[in-house]
Amino acid sequence: MTGLILAIETSCDDTCAAVITGAGEIRSNVISSQQVHDRFGGVVPEIASRHHLALLSPVLDEALRAAGATLDQVELVAATRGPGLVTALVVGFSAGKGLAAARELPFAAVDHLHGHLAASFLRPAEFEPPFLALIASGGHTLLADVRDHGPQLRLLGQTLDDAAGEAFDKGARLLGLGYPGGAALERLAAGGDPRAFAFPAAERMPGLDFSFAGLKTALLYKVRELGEPEAERRRADLAASYQRAIVAALLIRVRRALKQTGARRLAVGGGVAANGPLRAALAELGVELEVPPPALCTDNAAMIASAARYSKALRFPAYLGLDVYATGAQRL
Amino acid sequence: MRVLAFDTATARTAVALMDLEAGDNARPRAVLDLALVDDPAPGTRPGHARLLLELVHRLLERSGGGWDAVDRIAAGIGPGSFTGLRIGLATAKALSASSGVPLVGVSTLQALAVPAHGRGKATLAVIDARRGEAFVAGWTAVQDPLTDVPALAPQVLAPEQLAAAAAALGAACSVIGDGAVRFRDVFVRGGAQIPADESPLHRVSAREHCRIAGLQPAAPSTSIEPAYLRAADAEATRA
Ligand SMILES: [Zn+2]
Repeated sequence: MTGLILAIETSCDDTCAAVITGAGEIRSNVISSQQVHDRFGGVVPEIASRHHLALLSPVLDEALRAAGATLDQVELVAATRGPGLVTALVVGFSAGKGLAAARELPFAAVDHLHGHLAASFLRPAEFEPPFLALIASGGHTLLADVRDHGPQLRLLGQTLDDAAGEAFDKGARLLGLGYPGGAALERLAAGGDPRAFAFPAAERMPGLDFSFAGLKTALLYKVRELGEPEAERRRADLAASYQRAIVAALLIRVRRALKQTGARRLAVGGGVAANGPLRAALAELGVELEVPPPALCTDNAAMIASAARYSKALRFPAYLGLDVYATGAQRL
Repeated sequence: MRVLAFDTATARTAVALMDLEAGDNARPRAVLDLALVDDPAPGTRPGHARLLLELVHRLLERSGGGWDAVDRIAAGIGPGSFTGLRIGLATAKALSASSGVPLVGVSTLQALAVPAHGRGKATLAVIDARRGEAFVAGWTAVQDPLTDVPALAPQVLAPEQLAAAAAALGAACSVIGDGAVRFRDVFVRGGAQIPADESPLHRVSAREHCRIAGLQPAAPSTSIEPAYLRAADAEATRA
């Protein structure tokens, strides 16, 4: 393909549009983060969806402008179809279908998780399968056996309750940090003792699934047990120990998955990939490690465009009747 | 002028393609095509995301002219279902940006009022707003909903306020829309007149959007926003 791929991603609270070349080179990757959810302590679907509609046109314009491109050069339009918040997904998905339809362009309906895996395929990294992938964000935590570029997800394990990023956010809230609190918790933890408290990493849970609900509860009880003045005094220790448990929970299962699959290469994605101690621990695993830059780890549209290169693009008008999906991986 | 219009504010997906006469009345020269997919059963999700572009495509194909022959796109801005509005407006803005055809936003309440008006009576358009409330806008007997700003501006009202709103517009005010059917008893007690439940006057048709849009200047598509009429915070604190 010689033309450009224009992609849209609106599965949660970031309004994203990107332009990449048919060869996987990023021309632009625009992410408009909504900071309006802080006071609600989480993403409010109605608020997120209103912002998506208000922001999408300017974000699309900016993606084309930054790419130095016009719609005339776009050969394929892509948008995230799911999983995610339905009310948020339909904004970007409707826009993507509309952009393609008026020019009778082909359209690729992309699975969001395929997008996270495909972030590694982009230039300049061009991290090629096979590899083991760990995706850890506020919305998902999973291990996948990536054997090819395609949308077929070979899931080895996933979280049974909270996502890793959610665990960070909930811990941060218990420690009086704002939302989202992952980065603030990491900063606070830097000045604390990670071995001060023994928080559970669900070590005894066999297999490759994750569970973070017990950890969050353990922190809550510990804060209560210490009492307010003492918990306040030892916030850094609490944060450091809590973070250590999340990282350990991820590490244990990554090690098991590497052993189980025999993989020697690992790609990491999702917002949690930005966590320093996690990156340091992963670097010591002794496998070839790919951690894309932060803008490609958190939700973005370049990864959706990348996945579109390896998805089945539908010709006009076959895609007009497609709808989004909230959960699971529905295939075309 | 050829106008392509659609509305997704209510459970029905309505699309119309029309050629208008020049002049103050934007009288239809020809209704090229009209597609109305009826409301889904209660409790089922409306099919806007699946239906809208299919219907648009079908109408354009049958008209033979394609996008090049379209002078204006008109999209219903509500009030109504928040998700429905966003599907309609995200689609409209994308179609406009991609085809270069200017976009106009049309009040769904205004479009409802146009065919019901004109018998020397005031008109109150009412859309079911869920949670026991209604979206309303009203035009007095001397006004013309096709062009006039409604005497009763679009707003959300509780059932106990509805009868008074109709009465304030004029005696024997005619009330239409799915909200008129839903709150029929309230209005009838207040002396308002409501067509039979199955009357097409209660359902949104994109036909009137074409005429209303034909009389309005096209605006930059960034200025076109849904008429939510309710804060998103309300949705957040409700949970
Ligand atoms: Zn994600």
